[in-house]
Formats: sequence, structure tokens, C-alpha cells
Amino acid sequence: MTVQNPVATSKPRQSWLHVIAIGRNPRNTFIRIAVLVVASFVVFNFVLLPIRVTGVSMLPTYKDHSINFVNRLAYLRHEPRRGDVVSIRYSGPHVMLMKRIVGLPGETIAFVNGQIVIDGKILDEPYEKWKSVWNLPPESIGANEYYVVGDNRTMPPEDHTKGRVARERIMGKVLL
Amino acid sequence: MKIILRLFLFAALIALGVWLWFVFFPGPEKIIRSQLTKLARTVSFSPAKGNLAKLASAQNVAGFFSTNVEINLNLPGYAPQNFSSREEITQAAVGACSVLSSLSVKFPDINVTVAPDKNSAIADATVEANLSGQTDLVVEELKFTFEKSGGKWLIKKIETVRVLS
Repeated sequence: MTVQNPVATSKPRQSWLHVIAIGRNPRNTFIRIAVLVVASFVVFNFVLLPIRVTGVSMLPTYKDHSINFVNRLAYLRHEPRRGDVVSIRYSGPHVMLMKRIVGLPGETIAFVNGQIVIDGKILDEPYEKWKSVWNLPPESIGANEYYVVGDNRTMPPEDHTKGRVARERIMGKVLL
Repeated sequence: MKIILRLFLFAALIALGVWLWFVFFPGPEKIIRSQLTKLARTVSFSPAKGNLAKLASAQNVAGFFSTNVEINLNLPGYAPQNFSSREEITQAAVGACSVLSSLSVKFPDINVTVAPDKNSAIADATVEANLSGQTDLVVEELKFTFEKSGGKWLIKKIETVRVLS
């Protein structure tokens, strides 16, 4: 009959600093870190683009310097919808416009006393908290275009970036 | 094990060779990107920059453009700007130095398409400019037409691309 000393056969105890820094099994820790790095790279480059809002054109819905994400997969199954806040690219994804879709392809849009009129009907905009006095003549939206505008229309219309945008420039839907 | 190590070293050596080749002999696309980055750096100035240094930079701006240059800029909130010679560009750069307290220009997204003959190229770039430290940035997409002249890539034309119409 033999008796083994459990203390003598067990692995040497690792220091708490070692456990916190690289875990009990360094190999597993390395694999976890590698998976996390790859997953973060894929998610934050191709699925959810992190953005920082600059400017006041989307006030009060989105404040200046706030952080958000653009969901690039939002329009895989359906086309952009009215009321969606979308990001619109210039020549690439590093600087984009953030606007709300108010007009859909084929529609006619006008601004009458600050209200948006789509094909002769006033558009209900619960997100627009500050009333404007814009008056802009009717404009036809092309087959592959959307009409976008910011939520803050307190400035003169010529100082606000708005208008028809081609579908291919819409990068995705703002997540939050 | 020895073979694997040798193979690994061989692959690393090839990768280093390829990298060095592209460093010493960059393609037209890389040269054009570098030109635009240099242009942005040349036209930018901080409030701390001295008048002589600003003037020297403004004089250097024309060197990025060809002699038959054509610039048609239509930036939101500003009157349309048209330039058709290097002298006009220099005057505009000097004028900007005297009017603005600071200017920061960046081209964050540059897409270059080189023509099959490798003597001309189109570069689409977003321009992000901050004038005199204002909170609102001027952002617009520009289309640059480059031509190769005397071994150098020079800007022949700049047009504004309307993202929203």
C-alpha cells in the first residue's frame, strides 16, 4: 500500500500577481486576447463603426461631441426608412454626415412654414423639438435617392446641410 | 525543426525585401497620397507660426500644381472660388495667411485611380478644414486630377463633389 502526499504532487502555487496579469493558463489567456483583438477589429471596422458627433445640426437628438455607432448591416434586409438617422459618407468612412431621412425615392418634398410636406401631406415629426420657419419649394427625389435633413432647423436653411443623397452614399443606420 | 526555422527566416527575408522595394520605389498611388498629405501640411498653419514662415509656406503651395491648373471650389457657406494659374493660387494662399489666424487642413480618405498609361490619375478625397479655430469644420469631397510632368505628379484640376444635391 502506497500513500501519496497531495501537497508534494500538486503544481507549485502561482502568485496572485501572475494570476491577475496573465491568468492561470497563459496559453488560454493568449488565445482569448487574440480572439478579442480579431473580433474587435472585425466588429468595429465592418459592422459597428464608432463615431463622434461634431456640430449642432442634429440637436437636440444628438449632442455635439457625443459618441455613437453606425450599424453597417442595418440595410442588408431592407432599404432605408423614413425617420432613420443615417451616416452618409464622403470619399471614405473617416468623416461622415449624420442626417435623418425624411424623403423616400420618387417622392416630392417641400418645406412650408417649417413643416415638411411629402407629396402634399404634412409629415409628423415628433423628434423635431424646435420649430423652424423654413419655406422651400417642392423638389422631386430621384429613384435612387433619399432626402436627408438635420433635426435642428433653427438656423437659416442655406446654413444647414441638407438635400438629396444617392443610396450608395448611405453607410448605415445610427445605432443609439 | 531546423527546416521550419529556415523556411520562416526565408519568408521573413522575402517580406522585408518586398517592403523595402515599396519604400524605395513607391507606386503612383502612394506618391499621390503623399503629395496630398504634404499639400495639407503646407497650407496648414498654427497661430504660433511666424509671418515669414507662413509666407514661405504660401509660396511653396504653387509647386504642387501644374502650370495649366484649374480649380473650381464650391464650399458650403462660402462664395465659389476659381483659380486658373499658379500665381492666383499663391495670391490666395498669401491672402489666407493674412486673413485667418490659423488653418488646419486634412485629407482623411484618399482614393486614387491611376490611368492605364500611368501619366494621369484621379484622387477623390475628403477635405476637413478648420478655419481660425472655429468649432464648425468645413467638410467637402474634392476630386483631384493629377498629371505626371517631368517625373512629378502635379495637380491639374480640383473640383467639388456634391454629396447632397
